[in-house]
Amino acid sequence: MVPSKNRLAVSCPTEEQNLIKELVALSTTEQIRKIRELPVSFEEKKHVSFIQKCKEDVYLWVLLCCFLPLQSIRRFGYNIKSARQTLQLWQGIMKEIGGKFGSSVLNYFVLLKWLLLFNIFSFLVNFGFITIPLLVSDLSPNVSPNVSFRGLELLTGAGYFNHTIMYYGSYSNETFRGLVDYDMQLAYFFTISVYMVLCGLVLIFSMASSFKKNYALADQASNSAWQLLCSWDFSITNEKAVNQRKNNLRIQLMESLSEKAHRERQTTSEQLKQYGIYFGSWLLSTGLAVGCGRAEDTETWSTLKEAETLLVPFVVSLMNMVIPLFFSLFNKFEQYSSQRKQIYALLFRNVLLRISILGVLCYYWMNMVPQKFTCWEPIVGQALYRLVIVDFIFLMLGSLFGEFLSNVIGTRIQPRLGVPEFDVARNVLEIIYFLFSFFGRFANVHQYVYPLLLQVSLTHNCQPPRRSGRAAQMKTIFIFLLFIPFFVGAVSIVAYTAWSLTPSEHCGPFRGLNSTFSVIGEWINDVDKVSSTEWVVWIYQNVIRSEVFYFLITLIILVIIYIFWQLIQGRKELIVLLRKQIANEGKDKSFLLDKLQDLQKSCPKVNKKQKKRTTVCFARFYSKFICLQFFCCCCCFCTLPNVLFFFSTQADAQLSAPLEISPTQTRWFRFYSLASSWRKRRDAAPVAFQSRRTFPPPAP
Amino acid sequence: MGTTASQLPKDSLSEYQELTFLTKQEILLAHRRFTELLGRDERNHPNPRVPMQVILTLPELKSNPFKTRICQVFSTSEDKDGSLTFEDFLDLLSAFSDSATLEIKSHYAFRIFDFDDDGTLDHSDLEKLVNCLTGETEDTRLTSEEMRQLINNILDESDIDKDGTVNLSEFQHVISRSPDFVSSFKIVL
Repeated sequence: MVPSKNRLAVSCPTEEQNLIKELVALSTTEQIRKIRELPVSFEEKKHVSFIQKCKEDVYLWVLLCCFLPLQSIRRFGYNIKSARQTLQLWQGIMKEIGGKFGSSVLNYFVLLKWLLLFNIFSFLVNFGFITIPLLVSDLSPNVSPNVSFRGLELLTGAGYFNHTIMYYGSYSNETFRGLVDYDMQLAYFFTISVYMVLCGLVLIFSMASSFKKNYALADQASNSAWQLLCSWDFSITNEKAVNQRKNNLRIQLMESLSEKAHRERQTTSEQLKQYGIYFGSWLLSTGLAVGCGRAEDTETWSTLKEAETLLVPFVVSLMNMVIPLFFSLFNKFEQYSSQRKQIYALLFRNVLLRISILGVLCYYWMNMVPQKFTCWEPIVGQALYRLVIVDFIFLMLGSLFGEFLSNVIGTRIQPRLGVPEFDVARNVLEIIYFLFSFFGRFANVHQYVYPLLLQVSLTHNCQPPRRSGRAAQMKTIFIFLLFIPFFVGAVSIVAYTAWSLTPSEHCGPFRGLNSTFSVIGEWINDVDKVSSTEWVVWIYQNVIRSEVFYFLITLIILVIIYIFWQLIQGRKELIVLLRKQIANEGKDKSFLLDKLQDLQKSCPKVNKKQKKRTTVCFARFYSKFICLQFFCCCCCFCTLPNVLFFFSTQADAQLSAPLEISPTQTRWFRFYSLASSWRKRRDAAPVAFQSRRTFPPPAP
Repeated sequence: MGTTASQLPKDSLSEYQELTFLTKQEILLAHRRFTELLGRDERNHPNPRVPMQVILTLPELKSNPFKTRICQVFSTSEDKDGSLTFEDFLDLLSAFSDSATLEIKSHYAFRIFDFDDDGTLDHSDLEKLVNCLTGETEDTRLTSEEMRQLINNILDESDIDKDGTVNLSEFQHVISRSPDFVSSFKIVL
């Protein structure tokens, strides 16, 4: 095997063995996942995978039985993943935009794509459950003979379209008896309510996960230099865009360096002035929004002839286009401390404008129209249709020509910021979409065309945004904006229509009833008659219609929220403590390292001294011993003859034993053996002696 | 194991799918782009190795400020010259793909930013990083005073154990708090 540079995790055999042991204990999918996530080169991964498979050969026959089906399931999973990738929409467009503008703009397109898929899903659901049964039951539109199709219907939505299935005014309220009894009223009600609930759930979950990822885990000071450097966008491929980004990054780095200084330099009078400007511009913008609402209110009274009905949407779209320009102008005068606050302020004002205009429109539709017209449902549907179409036309003109013009102006006078202007202005489509789905069927084809349009205009007219970063948080804000004002507004309007408004006598699937919701009451009465479905009736009476149930649910949810909130506070404190602990351990480590280095520096001199001292000691001791030895020898030398004399006198009595050892011999032999044993001990002892000395007691 | 001129053998394809984060489409596209980079005589070689200059002609890498570091990190050649085999190329694409985990991305990002390959990001590494990202010409560089202040800010923020360098764990900690990293550390063919 070629030794590779990337051998990190499996550099030594023991680590490899530990890894293999760990892998063998897991299931096959887990093993594959774990090997894939090793940060080593491909050859290493192959090697590990091979060894791990060899280890599993023990129960080969068991593996053969289970391995093959598992492998085929895995292959199937891979095939599905690659099939999903080929079906991805707008692959080429996304890549081009990502290459030129970076991932923040790309996120916006991803959001658009998500919305489109949402739309398609809703269209399929509505079409499948409502339109197809109508078509199948073979109801031809009961058109009066003097009405024919003219071109104007595409714009106004009235006339011929009035009698087709596009608006729910012409839906039947009958029950189709066929193979299955299909009650149109119930079908309509349940489809819309289930669909709204699904929308709400998907929005809530995506908002929650996005919020958790981008706000809760993100650092507070995340426009710091380090974050900017680490988040360099690797997907940009255009040379000019790269240079521009480098430039922008440099400016941002300089700003982050000088930001603190700037903040301190602002005096009180300057701050007051700034607050005055903020207040003034907010006042102006709310005034404009309310003024638009009032102006529109007076407009809507005079809609009589068919072509004149286009006047209202025209005025609305014009206001939507012009007023945000004023807001951008205000923005230029104000100086926000960070770009993000500036964008959020602009966003909020635009949303306020939209809400006020739409609020007035909805008030008119819900209150005035039912009083004026007998068959009011198609009228509302038509008005919505007109609004959508005219808005779309303005969008096209605005993107293609408006941007082109401002690009021409911008290149001559001053460079301008390209993208953020889009982000807010088009969310208005969504509420129209949601409302319209209750009052009629309309495949939002323009939502498919819009991103293509946007891409063309972006690539030719706009430049990348000046401030990089924070793309993920912007996405959270967009979803949040989509949910809170628009979806909640749509749901409340539909709920109001269902609960309080009386359906008209002659139009729509709910004709003749007191309110739309009473369809459920009638259905429950029918179900009651069948004995086996009493539990449905019980649920309806005691759960859905009772207030106690909702009260209890709300209480439980509030308690759970409180518990989670306390957990979060506790965890935040824990994080602070752990950081302090890490910092302290770092300090301990550096203290000990310094200490060790000091000791090692001073220890060699100590050793030499020690050696000298020990040898001197030993020399002294040795000399003392020699003297002692000599003394002993002398004593022996002196006493031995006397002893011998004593023994010889004793022996003389019996026999004179010959002297086997001469005193001289004995003395030297003893001396030599003692000296050699002492030498041995002396050579062994210094190490122990020295090592004791190298760990002095800790200094105070 | 080697790659033929026209297509990948099936078992290699499934092995690549298992051991990398790429899908079949991406692997086949990578194979096609890689063979386009090879010379005519190299195509029949069992395991061809493409020199760094040729790799850097790919439009996805051409304008990247870290192009040489990327090639050096993913290269398995003995001479450390940044040349890549097909498997190294797949490694590269896998680490930069959508489905790669945060740990893999942060690990490789750390190695790319570690210009002297010593396992930590010290003062000189950070200086080179800033210069790489702000521009190489004289008038776009930061002054030495600004650079010093910037690097002090960076170390204040990310050096938790205060040893003057940023090691892998500290880097991964900073990355985990930056939600933009995963979406920006991406190269798609």
